[in-house]
Amino acid sequence: MPTANTEEENSKSELQKNHGGGGGFTRWAVVAVIFRLALIYFPGNLNLSSRPEVSTPLTSIRRLAEGYWLKQSSMSPYAGSMYHGSPLLLSVLGPLTVKRIEGQPSHILCSLVFVLADLISSILIRATGRKLQIAYRKSLKSLNLLNKSTDSGALSSGDIAALVYLWNPFTIVACVGLSTSPVENLFTILTLYGAATGLAPLAAFGWVMATHLSLYPAILIIPVNLSYSGSWFYPPAPLSPEYTYAPPSKLFRSKEHGKVGDGKSSQEIIFSWRRVFHLLVWTSLWSVYVLVLCSISVKQHGSLQEMFQRTYGFILTVEDLSPNIGVLWYFFAEVFDFFRDFFLIVFHSNILFMILPLAIRLKHRPCFLAFVYIAISSMLKSYPSVGDSALYLGLLGLFLDELADMQFSFFLFCGYVGVSLLSPVMHNLWIWRGTGNANFYYATAMAYACFQIVLVVESVSSMLNHDRKLTKLSTSKLQK
Amino acid sequence: MRSKLPDAASSRKMAASSAVVAILASIWLCSSIAADASGSSSETTMHTNNWAVLVCTSRFWFNYRHMANTLSLYRTVKRLGIPDERIILMLADDMACNSRNKYPAQVFNNENHWLNLYGDNVEVDYRGYEVTVENFLRVLTGRHESAVPRSKRLLSDEGSHILLYMTGHGGDEFLKFQDSEELQSHDLADAVKQMKEKHRFKELLIMVDTCQAATLFNQLHSPGVLAIASSMKGENSYSHHLDSDVGVSVVDRFTFYTLAFFERLNMYDNASLSRLFNSYDPNLLMSNAYYRTDLYQRNLQEVPVTNFFGSVMETVHTDSAYRAFPQKNTPRETRIRTGNTAEDDSRRSILTDMTKAECPFTRIVSSLESKMETVGNLDSLVNYGLVMILPVLVVSVWLST
Repeated sequence: MPTANTEEENSKSELQKNHGGGGGFTRWAVVAVIFRLALIYFPGNLNLSSRPEVSTPLTSIRRLAEGYWLKQSSMSPYAGSMYHGSPLLLSVLGPLTVKRIEGQPSHILCSLVFVLADLISSILIRATGRKLQIAYRKSLKSLNLLNKSTDSGALSSGDIAALVYLWNPFTIVACVGLSTSPVENLFTILTLYGAATGLAPLAAFGWVMATHLSLYPAILIIPVNLSYSGSWFYPPAPLSPEYTYAPPSKLFRSKEHGKVGDGKSSQEIIFSWRRVFHLLVWTSLWSVYVLVLCSISVKQHGSLQEMFQRTYGFILTVEDLSPNIGVLWYFFAEVFDFFRDFFLIVFHSNILFMILPLAIRLKHRPCFLAFVYIAISSMLKSYPSVGDSALYLGLLGLFLDELADMQFSFFLFCGYVGVSLLSPVMHNLWIWRGTGNANFYYATAMAYACFQIVLVVESVSSMLNHDRKLTKLSTSKLQK
Repeated sequence: MRSKLPDAASSRKMAASSAVVAILASIWLCSSIAADASGSSSETTMHTNNWAVLVCTSRFWFNYRHMANTLSLYRTVKRLGIPDERIILMLADDMACNSRNKYPAQVFNNENHWLNLYGDNVEVDYRGYEVTVENFLRVLTGRHESAVPRSKRLLSDEGSHILLYMTGHGGDEFLKFQDSEELQSHDLADAVKQMKEKHRFKELLIMVDTCQAATLFNQLHSPGVLAIASSMKGENSYSHHLDSDVGVSVVDRFTFYTLAFFERLNMYDNASLSRLFNSYDPNLLMSNAYYRTDLYQRNLQEVPVTNFFGSVMETVHTDSAYRAFPQKNTPRETRIRTGNTAEDDSRRSILTDMTKAECPFTRIVSSLESKMETVGNLDSLVNYGLVMILPVLVVSVWLST
């Protein structure tokens, strides 16, 4: 028992050595907020809110303002197929879109809300990163693999991830361009934070709100369940070698002399169904609360069924085919009506069929599994935008220790920079100058999808390589 | 015995009184029916919109003036406010690009060539060989095939004022269509009668500029129709002047003096129809302009020409903010006004409900719904719910640690 406590204290003190890094983070966070505010004061938001890469039919602030006006005119906010978001977001952000302050740019209050959302997201990423790093060090120590050289440096991975999230040009553009993706990202990150710290109500609340705002975080229920119920940070007894985090269970089987043949996986991975039930209870409580609020909100001029049809139905049936950085619009513009349903099923199951294999392979790393799910859904969702990419790029920074050996990192970096520069150019050529056509723009979208695929594949393989190396090292150490 | 006499007397009294009542009721019914029949059409319906049907029934180069007539009136009617969607223009349309036209794509109605009537914004609905008697009658009566587009239909309603202008070659009770067909006066009267039956107009002004035009109105009997013709039976309508440059006569006298009247007007003038009708001078026209007002109830001095030739809609200015569906406010207002009584009702209903053996869930739901009815603003409830999320979250997190 005392050894476990000193282990915790040791890792905490190591992290507190990086408290100078904490001061560094605060400085850079403040500068990032000031930078965003400076950009907000530019006239006309730099025309960012009209770019297709930034604002999609789901996240555009203009559509939210239109939905709010419709609601104020005693009509259903979903009339006329302009607004496709949550009615709760309408109640919160709607009044802010019409309030005007003398001498300030328009929508200043909405911009402040988004800046605040970004700031809170980055703080939550930092806290999640700290938890992850503590657990990582603990597991490495239990395998006797920890040495001084694994000390990462001035900034911990959590700080790096939070700063990457704040200073990512995609995040800044999504915040200044007044899309609602900072709010959606905030709830997704809140889910991960709740799962990391083992707070079931928080994780359930974050998951319910993230799913309510945009449909795709629904698949995060699996990694959240795995991390919450899988005895991640709170092993059932001290000194128990059943740390299921980071290295796979094979390592622990070999550590316990004689338990090799005892192969029930449920024994090594302390996966308590009681905790799953606990989490599901909180999830259902929060979803009932949110549904009741929504039904009160839409009761006057619509119904809950209309709300689901216009939000989830709009996402799933891909009604709007205006161009964005995704790959669905071009395809659905040319598919025949007879095959439209079939291809809708194909495209949506593209995300769904990857859930199970990834869950099986990465069940010992729930946070990384969540990152992979987020990356895949950001790429293959109906209306992607740069705000979605900002989320997973920020989360990528949480795993810098494990992904240090990732191949093609420079190639990917150049690819992202190139696509983000070329895509507005191609859009301009197509729409404004008329010297290009849709293929130019779709080519950049396809290149972007390719780079995202390479990123996902490379990160997963380098993570699995890292685990294999750990296994090799620890078995070699055992054999010594 | 005694009881029989009062019975007989009272029964006789009852019979008499019931007969009187029945007669009075029948008289009242008949009068109301008669009043309905007579007064329903013009006095009770509101004037909603103005339509114009402009027909040029001639083709070939030497009938240039008929197309110029129609296009001049088209321009006037558009200038005074009727939009293209409410104008049906039927032209042979073979003048502007005719190989004999020295000024291609231009049509003039005066030898000074100041005004080109054929420009970018001339929308011809029926052109060339589509201008037939059958299409004309279909336009008037609204009996089209299903494939005919909306722009070719006369979509008037019971409050519309329609201007029908026809020009071309005519004679005693007929009008020649494209040199191959004839429209007879009883065809026209029949079509107008059908229009009246189907409530396709409130008031109709028919203006005809042909030889012996007045004979075309001989068979008209429908109320609400005003008709003016350029010449009477036995008289010809003459062209105004010859344009030696173009080589043909470019306008007819009747239309020329009509346009001269309208060129002095703008949309807001309230010159009356009687002024228009009195402006025709038989010496200048070289014929007697005839107008028929026996089917038209209103006094011509009170009717402004823009009732037919223009489109002036009444606007109502309000200072309040725009509400898309104003009647949706009233239920809410009545709910607020009767808020107290509803609360009493709900209290009373809860008391009575407790005595009944009801499912408690439905009781709770119904009481919640009644409470929500009494809450003035559902939005504030949603806002409270959203604000309450934060403390609930904090409490639940604290409880679970």
